[in-house]
Amino acid sequence: MTDKKSESPSRPSRRSVLQFLGAGAAVPAMSSLAACGGGSSGGPEAAGKGELSLVYLGDATQQKAFNQLFDAFNKAHPDIKIKANGIAAKDWGSFANTVSTQIAGGKIPDIVDVATEGQQLFSSKGLLEPLDSYIKKDRSVTDAFYAGIDPHLKEWTTKYGSPDGRTYFIPGGYNTVVMYCNTEVFSKAGVDLPAPDWSWDEFEKAAKQIKEKTGAYMLGIGYGFPFVDIMPWLLTNGASTMDADWKKATFDTPEAIEAATFVKKLLDAGYSPKPGGSFDAPSAYAKGKLATLGGGRWPTLDIRRLKMVDKTHIVNWPKNKENGSPVGWDGWPILKASKKKDMAWTFLKWLMSKEAGEFYASIGGTNVPALTSVAQSKVFTKDAPKGSELLSKAVSYGAPIPSPAKGAEVQTAVTKAWQAALTGTSSVEAALKKANTHIQGLL
Amino acid sequence: MTTAPGEQVTTTGAGHRGWVGVAFVSPAALLFVVFILGPFVAAIILSFYSWDMLTPSKFNGIGNFTQMFSDATLYKALANTFIFSIASVITHLIGGFLLALGVNRLASRALSYFVRTSLFFPFVISWAAVALLWKYVLDPTFGIVTYYLGEIGITSPDWFTDPHWALPAIIAIDWWHTIGFTFIIMLAGLQTVPGELIEAARSDGCNGWQVLWNVTIPLMSPTIFFAGVITFIGAFQIFDPVQIITPNGGPDNATLTIVMYLYQKGFQSFQVGYASAVSLLVFAIMAAVTALQFWASKKWVHSV
Repeated sequence: MTDKKSESPSRPSRRSVLQFLGAGAAVPAMSSLAACGGGSSGGPEAAGKGELSLVYLGDATQQKAFNQLFDAFNKAHPDIKIKANGIAAKDWGSFANTVSTQIAGGKIPDIVDVATEGQQLFSSKGLLEPLDSYIKKDRSVTDAFYAGIDPHLKEWTTKYGSPDGRTYFIPGGYNTVVMYCNTEVFSKAGVDLPAPDWSWDEFEKAAKQIKEKTGAYMLGIGYGFPFVDIMPWLLTNGASTMDADWKKATFDTPEAIEAATFVKKLLDAGYSPKPGGSFDAPSAYAKGKLATLGGGRWPTLDIRRLKMVDKTHIVNWPKNKENGSPVGWDGWPILKASKKKDMAWTFLKWLMSKEAGEFYASIGGTNVPALTSVAQSKVFTKDAPKGSELLSKAVSYGAPIPSPAKGAEVQTAVTKAWQAALTGTSSVEAALKKANTHIQGLL
Repeated sequence: MTTAPGEQVTTTGAGHRGWVGVAFVSPAALLFVVFILGPFVAAIILSFYSWDMLTPSKFNGIGNFTQMFSDATLYKALANTFIFSIASVITHLIGGFLLALGVNRLASRALSYFVRTSLFFPFVISWAAVALLWKYVLDPTFGIVTYYLGEIGITSPDWFTDPHWALPAIIAIDWWHTIGFTFIIMLAGLQTVPGELIEAARSDGCNGWQVLWNVTIPLMSPTIFFAGVITFIGAFQIFDPVQIITPNGGPDNATLTIVMYLYQKGFQSFQVGYASAVSLLVFAIMAAVTALQFWASKKWVHSV
């Protein structure tokens, strides 16, 4: 139920080592996978009794929260046990790689928690069971759920997660990107806390004053985690890496170049430590050496851990042309090869309930609950910085994080270009143009 | 065949000894088949297919191999890997040999043990920890190297984001981490050089340099050769530190190594067939270079 793994907002660690050197040995298993999927009943069956296998992304802390969630489900449905496999991958790309490798090896789960970044990949491979008949059968639950979530989530899940118009995912929690402001640093520098809608100019002026008065950095600028490091700057300038259909690369538009140029200017002015090192943003934030943290809901967990909730105020990402935020959300599918689809559907139905959303939010979930009523309730804003409600509001103006089927390669191209632009390896324009050509070839 | 009185030679006994041999060899043989031979054969088969791990594979003939000829990134990865490997072999052999010579001459036994342990210690630290440690040390803003270079008026380069410095930095970090292993091999080799030969050379009027060049190095040549082969094979497969310190090949692919590229193709782009073809290329290169080293060794390695 996470959209982004909890990690340092400005310094996500990166990929892991080879998962299976001998993955090739799984060819026979793979070749028979399509046949396995052919046994789909294509519709709801009576819920049974037994064990469901489920794979999700989560480190040790998140696994604890997920296990509590599964226990809560088990209390509501004592006949169904969840055998969950939390993969502590460093990002969604690595997670998708690991799950794919496991599937290739014949270890096929009933349910996989798939983030936006992997939805098109999974659905385009014919691995998932269409959920339309299940949704139709349980209208009393599903209608209430879809009426209670932001309409964008349903629209995007179909638009980007379905190659044939059928429904393959139930949307889960989501993340947008906002800015966490350290009120003590702002106050010490004599800078007024920004209004929720502030501009790039105001951001730069605040950064200058904070640097001069306190020596603190304004933001940890990076390039390895596009969701926070790159997309917010592009989207708040009316740009993106590709068009809304994810068919045409747009990484070299004047707006995109302007955004990268602005970020480079901030970096060159010393408002951020140089990227490529070991800067620990949450720690610096707690010590008053960093004025802001970018991120979705997950930094709230750090803020709580660092006992900074009362000293933090959330505002929107500063904008130049318009408000903007990437949006990433969980999709919950049932695998076509599952032999326990009815039980899996029982679990998905339970996830759609207000009870499940509130429970997950209360135990420290790392994303915004799908149901708007829960996202704006006290369960969500309790023990969270002021302004936390802006996270759910951002979905109204946000844009889905571009995640075409070759998402991992696109991400590599984007991050390399941003790195080259920021560090001066190449001119901003040349770096983005070169990447744009590469990205277009991948779409 | 004659048989001594009282000696029994039966086919049962010979068979028994045969089975004992098989029993002793079988665990290693099983592991070899499962983890080396099996994947190797699978890689050969897969290299003729297109496969994305999620849908059935398709026969692709020699398409994966011909694709390699026009893959500029592959050439870049190969060039980086050769630069890294050659630099690694040279610096390890020279550094390991000189360190071994120095430690071998230490008069104090306690000091000798201390220095040996100190030099070998980094080798037992995991690559992940070493990589993170050096990210701290060479941090462009907070790193101690950055600080002390600044103190003497030198502006520290951005070690991991500057394409000119990223690979040299990785070479240096790798050297620090693995030199202990080469050093221990060299030290062991050095201690097998007969003292009487050195004494004899000195008696004949050889100076230190002449002893080193004409006695020590020739007698050490099998050790140097072994260290060279092992270092090259290890260096050519470098992956962990490069991936942790400079993910995805670093700035402008300056640190993209061949195994990293293989990983990207297989597990990020899901081009398992092409990745298998690249893995066979890696195997062929390592086999060819090792064979070349063995061939060249006939000309310079001392045989008893």
